[in-house]
Amino acid sequence: MKLVGIAGSVADHSYNRMLLKFIANHFSDTVDLEILDINDVPMFNQSDDQTDSEPIAYLTRKISQADGVIIATPEHNHTLTASLKSVIEWLSFNVHPFSDKPVMIVGASYYDQGSSRAQLMLRQILESPGVNAIVMPGNEFLLADVKQAFDENDNLKDANTVKFLGSTLDKFVKFVRVINMLNEPQPTSAEDEDLTASSKIDTTVEGVDMGADDWVEQAAKKVNAVEGDTYVKLDRGLLTVDQLNAFLNSMPIELTYADSNNQFIYYNHMLPADKMLAPRTPAQAGDPMSMVHPARAVKHVKEVIHMLRTGQRDEIKMPVPGNGPDKYILHAYRAMRDSENKYLGINEYVEDLMPMIKWYLAKTGQKLVDDPDAVTGASAETTDASTGASSANERTVAPVAAPATPETDASTGASEDEEEPTSVASAESISASTETAADSEPDDVTGASEDE
Amino acid sequence: MNDIAQMTIKFTEIEGIFNMNKYIALVGTNSDKSTNRELLQFMKRHYADQADIEVVEIKGLPVFNKPDNMKVPDAALAIADKIDQSDGVIISTPEYDHSVPAALMNALEWLSYGIHPFVDKPVMITGSSYGSLGSSRAQGHLRIILDSPELRARIMPSSEFLLDHSLQAFDDDGNLLDQEKLSKLDGLFADFQTFVGLAKQLNHATSINRQEASDYSWDKQ
Repeated sequence: MKLVGIAGSVADHSYNRMLLKFIANHFSDTVDLEILDINDVPMFNQSDDQTDSEPIAYLTRKISQADGVIIATPEHNHTLTASLKSVIEWLSFNVHPFSDKPVMIVGASYYDQGSSRAQLMLRQILESPGVNAIVMPGNEFLLADVKQAFDENDNLKDANTVKFLGSTLDKFVKFVRVINMLNEPQPTSAEDEDLTASSKIDTTVEGVDMGADDWVEQAAKKVNAVEGDTYVKLDRGLLTVDQLNAFLNSMPIELTYADSNNQFIYYNHMLPADKMLAPRTPAQAGDPMSMVHPARAVKHVKEVIHMLRTGQRDEIKMPVPGNGPDKYILHAYRAMRDSENKYLGINEYVEDLMPMIKWYLAKTGQKLVDDPDAVTGASAETTDASTGASSANERTVAPVAAPATPETDASTGASEDEEEPTSVASAESISASTETAADSEPDDVTGASEDE
Repeated sequence: MNDIAQMTIKFTEIEGIFNMNKYIALVGTNSDKSTNRELLQFMKRHYADQADIEVVEIKGLPVFNKPDNMKVPDAALAIADKIDQSDGVIISTPEYDHSVPAALMNALEWLSYGIHPFVDKPVMITGSSYGSLGSSRAQGHLRIILDSPELRARIMPSSEFLLDHSLQAFDDDGNLLDQEKLSKLDGLFADFQTFVGLAKQLNHATSINRQEASDYSWDKQ
């Protein structure tokens, strides 16, 4: 979990900064805490807007990208410092990075109040409409008599204080998860998926037309994207951008990245569109999903995205029918999530399975034979997506092996039941449905299992 | 007889002018445009025959950074000096994020860092806002701040002047339009004059208060 910390003091020596450093070091297993510098932030003045100046833009960026914020406040004159208040004023004037951001307040003071009054005021300030932070309730951490609190290595001396701080931090980590879950735009139904990508996520490049043919170039310029022989640190390894491109473009699969805002932002451009299994053109990168799908597919696309976003499915596979016996093109949609399980978008990979299957058969001296049971499994796998298409496709694969037998036709049994609703047949189909319900397989499998 | 009576009145007026209270009116913001500044300027004119009000700006003070050498900037020392010489202070505060603007907090930090011009100084709080609340929450915070050990101001109790919808509150000449608001301000200002007189008698603990304020050292343990 990525947190940022702000010490509410610009004094050379600050016990509150020391407290944040202690949290960052001592609890590095729990949180990744980066301490932000507010020293160069000018005094807020509404008639001299400096929102775009480096010290303020830096804070805006860091806070926006963080999962949560810890503020350590001293107490001056029964309140927080003017320097901290000034920072908050800048960040609630023309930009609002604190909006909906989980915040934990801690504080240290020379006297036994431990910044209690400053914390109370800070809480009220953070919850005002322009700031709109979500401050963790309760769990006050007041560090009194701070001059005696640290040892010579800047560690908190008192074991109970450290323990309490740790438990408060644990609660904050949970609080951040809960609040960010609330913040995540979670469409209540597939219908709510916005394929026009009109909302904005942290990584959305603003001020560039998503539909522009040169979106990649424009957006790259806007964010000062690295390219060429610049190194990129990856999990796990280190490559230059050129190496990364070579690597991705030599994959035997077509890769497409659609982000959580439903914007198509990448594909591995290894072939011209007419040579691709799922054609994409360079001009399409950056397009909202609505621009790269025909109107007739919209409903289906929304359903797929929704199932992945909401975690109903981690991956959805959709074979493309009608390519003859020598091709089995599979579109797979895999949800991408971060370490906090937050949805990041879809990794769509497209591949033709047949070359690999043929290679395997040749290498092992085997051939495909039709397996009646297999159809059930296959159609169950794809029921959410395009059942009809896949069962049709099963048939096109089958001829490679033994002749098809009528039993394998999934729809036969079901349609028979419909036409002849005898009491016996109904009873049978009821028992069949019961069985399939237990297996949590959808309705159209019923016929097939009955046949068995 | 008439002449004598007139002379007496004139003498009283002259005496009044000589004994007129001197107030420092702190503009609680560094903004170029401020209805709080407008309000204080109006009070200066409107009460010119009752008190000598000097409107003082807090703009331009460096961000308080608790310097180890305890050096307070000259601009802050000049304000402190004016407050020392005055009979009382009027502070008009806007409200930013439900609280006192950083610029005013910053001025008060400098004005309590090794210097203590506010100790037992009568203070009247006013405030204006564009909306309907008239800086109520900022005024509440300002009271708490002025009550802190190193400021220890003598804030006029049980009084509040909230000027709401302040952009529409003044005419072209800068005069307060709403007569009801004006009557309220007149009443509070008269009370403040009385309060200042009373406060001058509440002086038995002043030297101790000053001592305590300066003893409240940042490094004391």
